[in-house]
Amino acid sequence: MKAPFSSYLQDLAPVMKQIVARLSESYDYVSVLSTDSVGFQVSMSQRSKNVSRSNMTTERGNVVRVCKNGQYSEYAFNEVDPSDPEKTLARLQAALSAQQALLGRTGTRGYETGLLADEPLELFVEKETQELPEKTDMAALVAELSALSDRGMKEIPGALDCPVRGVSTHISKMFITKNRFLRQSYVYTEGSVAAFAPSPQGELKFVYQGVSGLGGPEILKGLADKLSELPKTMEEMLGSEHIVPGEYEIITDPAVTGLIAHEAFGHGVEMDMFVKGRALGAEYIDKRVGSDLVTMHEGALCADSVTAFAFDDEGTPAGDVIEIDHGILRTGICDALAALRLGVKPTGNGKRENYAHKVYTRMTNTVVDSGENTVEEMIESVKDGYLLRGMESGMEDPKHWGIQCIIARGYEIKDGKLTGKVVSPVVMTGYVPDLLGGITMASTDRGVEGNGACGKGHKEWVKVADGGPYLKTKARLG
Amino acid sequence: MFERLEKKLAALGAAGWELSEETVTGWEFYFIRHALDQNRAVETRNYTVKLYADVEGGFLGSASGQISPTASEEEIDKALADILFQAGLVKNPAYTLTDAPVPQEEGEEVCVEKIAEDFLRAMDSVHETDTEDVNSYEIFVKSVTRRFKNSNGVSYTRRFPSSLMEVVVNARREGHEIELYRLYPSGTCDADRLRSDVEDVMRVGKDRLHAVPTPVLKDIPVLFPNENAIEIYDYFRDHMSAGAKVRRVSTWESGKPIAEDMTGDVITMKAVAKLPNSSHSYDVDEEGSEIRDRYLIKDGVAQNFWGSRQMSQYLGLEGSSLVYNVVVDGGKQSAADLRTGDYLEVIEFSDFQVDSMAGDIAGEIRLAYWHHDGECTPVTGGSVSGSMMDAMRTMRFSSETVQYDTHVIPRETVLYGLRITGVE
Repeated sequence: MKAPFSSYLQDLAPVMKQIVARLSESYDYVSVLSTDSVGFQVSMSQRSKNVSRSNMTTERGNVVRVCKNGQYSEYAFNEVDPSDPEKTLARLQAALSAQQALLGRTGTRGYETGLLADEPLELFVEKETQELPEKTDMAALVAELSALSDRGMKEIPGALDCPVRGVSTHISKMFITKNRFLRQSYVYTEGSVAAFAPSPQGELKFVYQGVSGLGGPEILKGLADKLSELPKTMEEMLGSEHIVPGEYEIITDPAVTGLIAHEAFGHGVEMDMFVKGRALGAEYIDKRVGSDLVTMHEGALCADSVTAFAFDDEGTPAGDVIEIDHGILRTGICDALAALRLGVKPTGNGKRENYAHKVYTRMTNTVVDSGENTVEEMIESVKDGYLLRGMESGMEDPKHWGIQCIIARGYEIKDGKLTGKVVSPVVMTGYVPDLLGGITMASTDRGVEGNGACGKGHKEWVKVADGGPYLKTKARLG
Repeated sequence: MFERLEKKLAALGAAGWELSEETVTGWEFYFIRHALDQNRAVETRNYTVKLYADVEGGFLGSASGQISPTASEEEIDKALADILFQAGLVKNPAYTLTDAPVPQEEGEEVCVEKIAEDFLRAMDSVHETDTEDVNSYEIFVKSVTRRFKNSNGVSYTRRFPSSLMEVVVNARREGHEIELYRLYPSGTCDADRLRSDVEDVMRVGKDRLHAVPTPVLKDIPVLFPNENAIEIYDYFRDHMSAGAKVRRVSTWESGKPIAEDMTGDVITMKAVAKLPNSSHSYDVDEEGSEIRDRYLIKDGVAQNFWGSRQMSQYLGLEGSSLVYNVVVDGGKQSAADLRTGDYLEVIEFSDFQVDSMAGDIAGEIRLAYWHHDGECTPVTGGSVSGSMMDAMRTMRFSSETVQYDTHVIPRETVLYGLRITGVE
């Protein structure tokens, strides 16, 4: 079935068009993004159970962007009286006028920017889904997730608890300018099964598996299979040791590959950072940043994931950009304002945490292309190293190309064989061109995951997905 | 709308309900260098409803959801019916909502314009040089009004300011430029502190230009001289949460030492309702429970667990609440005394993390000072890792304390036995 576009937004469209028309009398550029996204979040564990109709991406609100004399301003609001758009206009003008007065008083100068393009475009996209979160049989879902938690407690050795989580959102967004009228509706879902248990040394060990993708709560059915992987993983974690710090040959699983792609050349080529001179990538366009085996895509069109939208939060159609082509950095990703300032085309990567937040250049799907090796061949080629599995977190450093990835566990490889020794957790650090330049093998398969959220610095959380094949390279582990 | 929702909730026949309204007026200013990239105004109002249902077998179910201020009558009724139905699906051991009256001081009016002006003027007056300057900054100022009522008649309104400032500074030498990143949450703008902090960051930025790769260092203490140490102290705070105890993640017990064989400084941590210029300085929590000042840990001995109504009652706690502000007492030695011998002083991590449950410590070093043989060498790269389970037994901290938003913590904290991965 098609995920139906919000009837609330459908009814609101004439009002927002009127607001755009009225503001266009006094501003050089005007746009409105309106959102109406509904969903749920269900968390079931042995100690506490929670159900909510709200989650990180459920929202209803509007943001108006205006430009006057090269200065862009925004007004975000969620109270609107459809019968009296003048009231909204008055509030907007009062707020922005007060800000202008303050900026005048403090002698603040503007960063003058040209006018955003506004070529005519109409788009109405309703993506496919099997189920809708707002029509999900919650009784069945709660029972199912609760049963998974109970099953985890029986099967996972030493488990103190087994939290199971399901999240689904039906997103509807509408973007209006003088010449554009874009509407989209799609559903994404993510879920996870996890467990924690104390090791014989008293350390708490955590294991986790997730499912995610473009589609409805039917995706959560995949959690049962994912749970089956956790008992063995927990056994390995309970027997794990601390790694001896040093440089090692490594093989990354698709989750860790995705983390590297995300932190290394995801954040590293967000071009709003180019405008600020905060990214070294700006100086490396058309230069080598990785081995021949590294080809990396970015864009909402790259995968049917949690962020597979049809247009971004500035009304730019979704894209698929080849950032790195056989090791050569070709381009970055860009929101519309940054593109205007840099004299390039926007790539459909202007995203907001929600309607009340500013747009930044943000990732969507960041995916490394597959290679020609089997994982077995890759393991056989390692003399002294680790197979790294499971991502925990990472942090970007676009200015200096350092990388920090915290990885759940490493499986020791000696002379081409897994020894059975497991280390956890693993802090992987390094210099991005060394890490990518050192890639000598890539597997034929690949995976894309979209659980969790990505921040810009330490704030502005949005949904992203990333992944790729197994990769072989070298890195410092600690 | 609040009253309309209240009437509907009362008529639902639920076992209990909580209703909150949060009204936000926000002003935001984004700068590239000192040129205004964009200004934004945010005016939002959100309603959150939580409904409780008695569930067969003596359980109490609950479910929640946000209601938009533009929701139609039909949408509101459907949302409330759905939430009530979903509450009935959830089987949690029974607990009660708060019924204790709370103080009725709403708080002073918050003027976002004045606070924003203070931030703008403070950043304009930061002393910059040809080689150290501000790359970009973002100012967020909010006036938040929270209104709350539950089915037991507990109600309050609180008004408070909440600000956030993100600053990126550059330092350069001979064509090489580096950046340092800081995020400053606060209530209002402390202009002198902000200016002085940003200028300090520029000073250390200069040192990063001279930094050499971190060598392999064994058995050397690691000193945390800034807000990164909050992560360390949050390990203690979170281990004293009722949720951690109920989930059996925390094995600490009230009245008993938090660890055996503690040879370092013993920690004393107090939860406080109000802390000057904290972004969370208020005396009532989100569930209507009054926040009272109390010891979480005293002289290394666990005292009072804290948490939500649900988790607190599962532990049989009286007078508990959520905790937003903590104050940690200083240690026995002065900062100067702690800074003796060889040690690694980490100024800047990519992202310093202490897993508040497992206690795993991890962070990539962006800038550290390696103090050795009476010399101080700026180093970069490599990482620090370890476990709080071990480190807490021997950690030391300075007698001097400093405030970072919601935390007052020792100015210097030293952890021993961490693994340091060098670059060489």
